[in-house]
Amino acid sequence: MQIKILDSWLREYLKTEAKPAEIAKILSLTSVSVEKLEKLSDDFLYNIEVTTNRVDLMSVIGLTREASASLSESGFKAEFKKPKFETIQKANKFPIEIRNDPELVNRVCAAVLEVSVKPTPDMIAKRLEASGIRSLNNLIDVTNYVMRETGHPAHVFDYDLLNTAKLTVRPSRKNERILTLDNKEYSLLGEDIVMEDDSGRIVDLLGIMGLANSVVGDKTKKILFFIDNNEPKHIRNTSMSLGIRTEAAVLNEKGVDPDLALDALFRGIELYQEIADGKLSSDVLDIYPNRIPDQKIILTTEKVNSIIGEKVPSERIEKILEKLNFEVNRKEDKFEVTVPSFRRNDVTIEEDLIEEIARIYGYQNIKSLLPPQTVSEKFTRFEDEFYWEDRVKSAMKYFGFTEVYTYSLVSEDLYEGPIDNALSLKNPLSSDMKYLRGGLIPSLISILEENKKRSKVKIFEIANVYKKRAGDLPKETLTFAALVRNEGSFFELKGLIEAIFEDLGIVNASFKKRSDGAGGANIFVKGKNLGYIEPLSEEITDFEINFDELKKFATRKKSYRPIAKFPESSEDLAVVLEPNISTMDVLEEIKKVDPLISDVSLLDRYGDSRTFHIVYQSLERNLTKEDVSKIREEIKKRLTDKFSASFK
Amino acid sequence: MEEELLSIKNNAVSLILDAPDLATLEEIKLQFLGKSGKLTIAIKEIAKLPEERRPSVGILANEVKLTIEDAIENQEANLKSQTSRKIREEIDVTNPGIKPPLGHLHLVTQAIEEITEIFKSIGFERKRYPEAEWDWYAFEALNFPPNHPARDDWETFFIDTPSHQKFGPMLLTPHTSSGQIREMEKNKPPIKMLNLAKCYRRQSDVSHTPMFHQFEGLVVDREISIAHLKGVLDFFVKSYFGEKRQSRIRPYHFEFTEPSFEVDVTCGVCLGKGCKLCKEGWLELGGAGMVHPNVFKNVGIDPSEFTGFAFGWGVERVLMMKEGIEIDDIRLLYSNKLEFLEQF
Repeated sequence: MQIKILDSWLREYLKTEAKPAEIAKILSLTSVSVEKLEKLSDDFLYNIEVTTNRVDLMSVIGLTREASASLSESGFKAEFKKPKFETIQKANKFPIEIRNDPELVNRVCAAVLEVSVKPTPDMIAKRLEASGIRSLNNLIDVTNYVMRETGHPAHVFDYDLLNTAKLTVRPSRKNERILTLDNKEYSLLGEDIVMEDDSGRIVDLLGIMGLANSVVGDKTKKILFFIDNNEPKHIRNTSMSLGIRTEAAVLNEKGVDPDLALDALFRGIELYQEIADGKLSSDVLDIYPNRIPDQKIILTTEKVNSIIGEKVPSERIEKILEKLNFEVNRKEDKFEVTVPSFRRNDVTIEEDLIEEIARIYGYQNIKSLLPPQTVSEKFTRFEDEFYWEDRVKSAMKYFGFTEVYTYSLVSEDLYEGPIDNALSLKNPLSSDMKYLRGGLIPSLISILEENKKRSKVKIFEIANVYKKRAGDLPKETLTFAALVRNEGSFFELKGLIEAIFEDLGIVNASFKKRSDGAGGANIFVKGKNLGYIEPLSEEITDFEINFDELKKFATRKKSYRPIAKFPESSEDLAVVLEPNISTMDVLEEIKKVDPLISDVSLLDRYGDSRTFHIVYQSLERNLTKEDVSKIREEIKKRLTDKFSASFK
Repeated sequence: MEEELLSIKNNAVSLILDAPDLATLEEIKLQFLGKSGKLTIAIKEIAKLPEERRPSVGILANEVKLTIEDAIENQEANLKSQTSRKIREEIDVTNPGIKPPLGHLHLVTQAIEEITEIFKSIGFERKRYPEAEWDWYAFEALNFPPNHPARDDWETFFIDTPSHQKFGPMLLTPHTSSGQIREMEKNKPPIKMLNLAKCYRRQSDVSHTPMFHQFEGLVVDREISIAHLKGVLDFFVKSYFGEKRQSRIRPYHFEFTEPSFEVDVTCGVCLGKGCKLCKEGWLELGGAGMVHPNVFKNVGIDPSEFTGFAFGWGVERVLMMKEGIEIDDIRLLYSNKLEFLEQF
């Protein structure tokens, strides 16, 4: 909530030598945030943000009380000049019979006055306008002035237009129609708080806005000045559903203190007498069925200080609370605190009181300490569940890839697979972001479209994908995907996966031909399918890997092998093979032939001939030509038997 | 024979000394020492000599061979050092280098790494909790009243699926605070959690994206006070923004903390003096507070025994409060224009 208040208005109730900038600063630090302090020609304007729990501060008097406590505890002289309004005899005799419904209205205070419509004096008009409220005529201006000053909304009826002996508060019925004082018609929803006259005509939408049929105007001679304190829940529903967000509604839906109502009425009467030739023509009416019981909270100095982290003496605690109008009954370091009526919505437990003490004590006066380390903390901090993610991201960066972040929410077009499998939002912002994605590749492809002018692209992302589960939260799987356009072949991207795996300590990955999607290969580690790599088109290749699963195989464990003392020997072997025979099978077959084969790789593939580079090495001795040729013959024999290979 | 050997030596040495480059030198080497080189042939001839002359001629032949080899080696070293000198003289060091491939990590990842390292160094442990959550974790257990605006369809994304009997509707977490409940349900104090995750809110404008990142700190133990919250806050602000930046806490209101604070950091441009970009010298960082006793009760921790604090701040927010990264439209972060991503 925002409130704008002139410095001069504040000083009507606040006696202090603090300058406006000092007041703004102290309020911001200890109470409500002064967002802006505007210098006017002969005054200052505070623009204040009030949190929803402090509706009591949406008023000059509330702010003054708060400022005087804050200032005086921050080293400034400050005094709250509590207003004393002339109290007027209350009586049961009232010209209109008012029938209240205590389910809807907590308190009604009212008076009838004879008045004359006149221009509003400059000072009042100026204060209202600066506060963001238009000055209309003196009769209405009084209600707004009372609201700003005391914090309680007020209403005024033209007594003669009401022309009734009875007013009845009741819940509205669905589809009843009203015309508000700004000449807008509304159809009510039912359960709105309304008041009808003795003919059944609705004359007020309580707590929100008056109606055209009873509004004061140029010809008004006599008024019913009316303060109603309403049930906040009803006000919130009506105001939100009808879209009427008046100042009164905003205050009333937060719960205004009913104890304020009578003071507000007295202040209003005083003002009508001052600026509208007001003459009381009735006693003062006060119907107060829902008095809020006193609220007491027990507090100890020990608890206060354990939360604040400073040694605040009991005397200081007592003083701070009293300045904020709490009633304190202290026995040494134990307090029984009675909450003032205007704070009962907000202060209900010990911690609420501690907040009051701490902020006035001054958060800036509390020291800075790091929380202690404890022995029970875990010892696996280095390799936590994020370690491998960071490591792979960093590797990808140094392999020349650019990381992207795409939205987890996608359109139907970008959802991979049948849309019935998708988790969808009940209230999407747009159809572009309606489904929780099941894969990353479509999002990466959409980036290509956004970067059409770039022929060469290398991008990757690590993010969650979501899978529906009956009666449970979706399964969220961290997924690693990359895509290249015009940046190397299928085998270069495959090689990148192999390099990443090697860095993660994964040595036994295998790639098997994949028939779904755009073909390519499925990637297996220890028999588990972790994802795929696919040549999407001539230019584009991508892969997607289940990172949560991959992570399980990753290891930082290293093992040492002695460095060979004897030289290795190597040779190239050209083998003629049918094209459908997979190179990986041949490599594995060769490796199995003899433990002296330390490495085999494919050197070249040309036509139906594949050349393998074979390395032989022994840790114990020099290998002779005979050793090598014996193994070579065995390789040839096995390849011939198994793959019908021939040799040139 | 001896004369022939000496003449071979003289001939070879003078040719070697005149060799202008390594290729010529290699040719000379072959010409004398190769399989059919002059010296090789001459040495073969030694076998034909009478036996008594063979040892002395053999010794001489060996000396000649060594001399030629030495000369070749010396000349090779000479030529090589001449070439190096030439390269050194002729190199244009201002020509561009040839770079290995170097990509880019997203700004958000870079911020996450930095934030994580800062909190890890004071004992926080990073955790990961669900992005799709039940109302219980996102609101109810966090002490949000039933009609709080954050719980309505205008602010939070709800998932189109039946509500859980106990935990209520399914939604996308609008804040990382749901991780507080997850953490405290699973682990008992002492707790020092950092939950850094994607969050979702139903808004999109220059300063909001429907998906964004928050980082949530939670510390629970005996005797945890506002002073500890201030300590952690100061440590983070100075580590992340730089030692010149100051922080402060102000009163605020949140449902799940009491007392609650708004955290400010001095503006990076004016350093607290006040300028066009800030509010009287300060920028708002986000919310914090002491864990509300109702929250403790909801997760079975006794609030008379334990206290704690929590904070939840936006990753994108702290990123954009950093000097030099004044991005005018936050949506640019997720637009994935390569021209943008490659700047970082």
